[in-house]
Amino acid sequence: MTFNIWGAQTDIELMPHRPAEASLDECIKCNICVTACPVTAVTDLFPGPKYEGPQAARFRQGQQETPDYSVDYCSGCRVCNMVCPNGVRIAEMNARARATIVEQDKVPLKHKVRNNLIARPETLGKLGQPVYPISNFLLGSGFGRYFADLFFDIAPKAALPGYASEKFSKWAKKHEKPAQAQRKVVYFHGCSTEYYEPRVGKAAVHVLEANGFEVLIPPQNCCGLPLLSNGEFDAAQKYHESNIKKLIDYVKQGYVIVGTSTSCTLTLKEEAPELLSFYTDDAMLLAGNTFDFNEFLVHLLDAGELRTADLRPIPLTLAYHPPCQYRAHRIGFPALEVLDLIPELTIIKSEAACCGVGGTYGYKAEKYEISMEVGRPLFEFVHEVNGPVAVCDSETCRWHIAGATGVPNVHPVELLAAAYGYEVEGPLADVLR
Amino acid sequence: MANLKDVLVIGAGLAGLTAAWQAAGPDKKVQVLAKGWGATHWHSGCIDLLGYWPLDADAAVTNPLQAIAQLIQEKPQHPYALTGLDNIVAALSAFQDLCAEAGYPLEGTPEKNWLLPTAVGTFRPTCLAPQTMTAGDLSSDAAMLLVGFKQFVDFYPHVAADNLTQQGIPAEYVMLDLPALARQHRLTSVVLANMMEQAAFRQEVAQALKPKLGTAARVGFPAVLGLREATAVWQAMSDLLERPVFEIPTLPPSVAGIRLHHILRDAIQAEGGWVFDGMEAVGAEKDGGRVTAVFTETAARNRAHRAENYVLSTGGILGGGIYASYQGGVKEVVFDLPVNAPDNHLDWFHTDFMDKRGHPIYQTGISVNEQFQPVNGSEQPLLSNLFAAGTTLAHCEPIQERSFEGIALVTGYVAGRLAV
Repeated sequence: MTFNIWGAQTDIELMPHRPAEASLDECIKCNICVTACPVTAVTDLFPGPKYEGPQAARFRQGQQETPDYSVDYCSGCRVCNMVCPNGVRIAEMNARARATIVEQDKVPLKHKVRNNLIARPETLGKLGQPVYPISNFLLGSGFGRYFADLFFDIAPKAALPGYASEKFSKWAKKHEKPAQAQRKVVYFHGCSTEYYEPRVGKAAVHVLEANGFEVLIPPQNCCGLPLLSNGEFDAAQKYHESNIKKLIDYVKQGYVIVGTSTSCTLTLKEEAPELLSFYTDDAMLLAGNTFDFNEFLVHLLDAGELRTADLRPIPLTLAYHPPCQYRAHRIGFPALEVLDLIPELTIIKSEAACCGVGGTYGYKAEKYEISMEVGRPLFEFVHEVNGPVAVCDSETCRWHIAGATGVPNVHPVELLAAAYGYEVEGPLADVLR
Repeated sequence: MANLKDVLVIGAGLAGLTAAWQAAGPDKKVQVLAKGWGATHWHSGCIDLLGYWPLDADAAVTNPLQAIAQLIQEKPQHPYALTGLDNIVAALSAFQDLCAEAGYPLEGTPEKNWLLPTAVGTFRPTCLAPQTMTAGDLSSDAAMLLVGFKQFVDFYPHVAADNLTQQGIPAEYVMLDLPALARQHRLTSVVLANMMEQAAFRQEVAQALKPKLGTAARVGFPAVLGLREATAVWQAMSDLLERPVFEIPTLPPSVAGIRLHHILRDAIQAEGGWVFDGMEAVGAEKDGGRVTAVFTETAARNRAHRAENYVLSTGGILGGGIYASYQGGVKEVVFDLPVNAPDNHLDWFHTDFMDKRGHPIYQTGISVNEQFQPVNGSEQPLLSNLFAAGTTLAHCEPIQERSFEGIALVTGYVAGRLAV
C-alpha cells in the first residue's frame, strides 16, 4: 500500500480481524515480558503480563466469572507487547479482561465513580475550563485535593494539569488561515490541547501551515481512550461513534487526520476498533487515515516534502521520553527523526520503560506509589540530562514527569514550531527567550 | 527518497545486531527492525561455536576450530563453510574486543571449548564465556557451593548440585531467604541483577553465605550478578567470599544474554544506528531483481522502510523467520524466499524424538551463496541487495551442533560487512 502523503486512502483493504485473545496460543511462556514489565518489577500486586494475559485468558471464556482482579494493576504501557517475540497481544487482553470486571460489576462503588470521573476529560474540561480561575484554585489547593482523595481516592500528590484560560478551538476560530495553501489536513487536538495545553495545538497548526497545509479543525469529541483503559467500554464506544460521524466525511473528501496526542491517534487507529471489536467500514476508513503528528511529518520527510532547509538552531540538550503509546503505534521513534533535523539541538533518548502514569493509572490513590516507583529510572534520567525542559509526546506523561521532577515538559512539535520561527508559548518560550 | 538508509537489518537477535554493528559507521545509516526481543534474551550469554561433531559423537568437541575444519569438508554448504575459518576467527576476536571495551570480557579461544555447568547440572561445551562464568569450568573438580534465592523461583540449586555430585563434581547448595528480598514473593532475574549492583545488598548476601561456605573452593550463582556492571559485581562477590565465584546461565530470560544485547545495541547506537523495537516485517517490495522496500505492520497500516541494502536475520522456525504450518507448508515470512525443507511432511522427523542428529525440519532455512545472498539452485542471487545471516540459514543444525551463537555471530559479522 502506498500513500499520497496528504491525501486520504479511501480504498482501505479490510483485513480479517481476530480478537486479541486469539493470540494466546502463540505464547511460548518464555517470560521475557515478565522480566521487562515495569509494574511487576516493583509490586506483587501485578504478578506479570504472561500470567495476567495469555495464561489467565484461558480461564476467561464465555460468561465465566472473571478469575483474577489483579489484571486491573496492568498500567497498559505495552512493554510486554513490544518485547514479545511472538506477537501476543497481552496488553489488549488485559484491557478487555478489565472491561469484563467492570461489566460484571466487580469494581467497588467508590472506584467506579472515581474512574468514571477521571476518564472523562471532555466533561471535566467543559465543566472546569469556563471557570478556570476557580477550578485551578481548587485543584491546586491542599483542601481540594484532600477531599478528592477522601471521596474519590484520587492520589493527593498526583500531578493534575491546570485549565487554560482560553480553549484551543476558540483560538482556532480566530486564527487567520494562510492565503494560498495547496493542501488540506484535519487536526485532531484531543482534550488535553483543547482544555489544558492549547499551546501544543497552536504549535501544530503553525508547523502544518509552514509546510503549506490549510488546517481544518472540525468539532470533535474525546477519543474515549481513558474510558477504554478503565474498562468502561460502552461509554467509550459512544465517543468513538460520535467521532466517526464528525470526521468521516473529511476522510471521504480525501483529507487525512493528524493528531498531536499519541493516545488519541492510537485510539482512532487501533485501540477503539480492536478493544471494542468495532470493525465497521467507516471505523476502519478513519483508522487507516489517522496519523500521529510525527509519523505524518516523517512521511513528508520520506517523500522529500518536509520543509527542512531554513530551520533555526536550538542550542539545547534535552531529555526525550518516547511515550508508551508509540509502542502500540509500532512506528518507531518518529519524533527523534523529526527533532534530528533541528540544528544544534541535542536530544538524549530515555531508555526507561515507562513514566509510570499509564493515563489515569497514576492518579488513583491505590496505584500512585507504583506509578512513582515505575517512573523512578526516568525521573533520574531527566535530572541527569539536566535540560531546562524535557520532551514527551503524551500529555499525561508530560504532567507526570514534570510533577515528579520539577522539570517542565514540552511536546516535540513545540520545538519544531520554534525552529520554524514561530513564537511558542509556555515553558519553551521562557527557555528560548 | 530523502530518508534512504544504507542498511536495513530485519531481526535483532545476535546475528542481526552483529550485522548492524559491523555495518554501522559515521557515514552509514543503519536501522534494525525488531519484532520483539528474542534470541539474545533466550541464550546463555556464551558463544557456542561447535559443541558436538559429528552429531552422534559421545564426547563434546574440545577444539572447535579443528572440528569445524572437518565439518567444512563434510558439509560444504554449511554456513561455516561459506564464511571460512578466517572469518570465524576474525568475528570472534572482534566480538571479544567489543565486549572487553564494554568492560565485560569474554574469555576463550576458538581452539578450546570450556565445559561449564548448566542450570540443572549438566555439562555444556562452549567457546567464549564471560569472565563471570569461567570459574565454573568442570575440567576442574574443585568443590562448589551453589546459591539459590528463595524469591527467584526459576533457579533450583539443589537439582544442579545433585546432578553435578553424581558426575564427580562435589557440589553443595544453599537457598537464601534474605530480608532485602522479602518485599516481593517472586523476583525476576532482572530485578535481582539490579539489586546485585548495590553494595549493601552484596554485603547482605555475603554475610548470609559466609557461615555456609564449608569446604567449597568456589561459589556458583545464577547469572544475576549485575546487569550493566556485571564484571564489577562479580569481582566484588569474589572478594567478599574470598574465593572464585561463577555464574550459571538461568532459564530465559537470561540476564547474561541481555548483557550482550545491551553491548551490541550500545555499539550500534554509538555509530548513529537505530534499533526499532516492536516492529514486525511482514512483506517487501521487489523491483528489477532488487529489494526496494520492506514493510512493517503498524497500527492501522503498513510502513515502508527503504535502504540500499537489506540483511535478513529473522531466525528459523523458532525465531519466527520461517513459518511452518500444520499442513506441512514452509514459508519465509518477509521476502517469500524459497525455503530448503523436506518436500514431504512425513520426512520432517526421524522416528526417534531424541535423535542426536536432530530432525530434517530443523535444517530448514534459506540457501545462500558465498556472498550470503539468497539463491535458488545456482550461485546467482535472487535479489542482489539482500543478504541473509543467522539461524534463518539452511544446511546447519544449530541446536544439536551447539553452534547457535557461533553461526549467528560469524554470519552476522560477514553479512554486515558485505551489506555496506
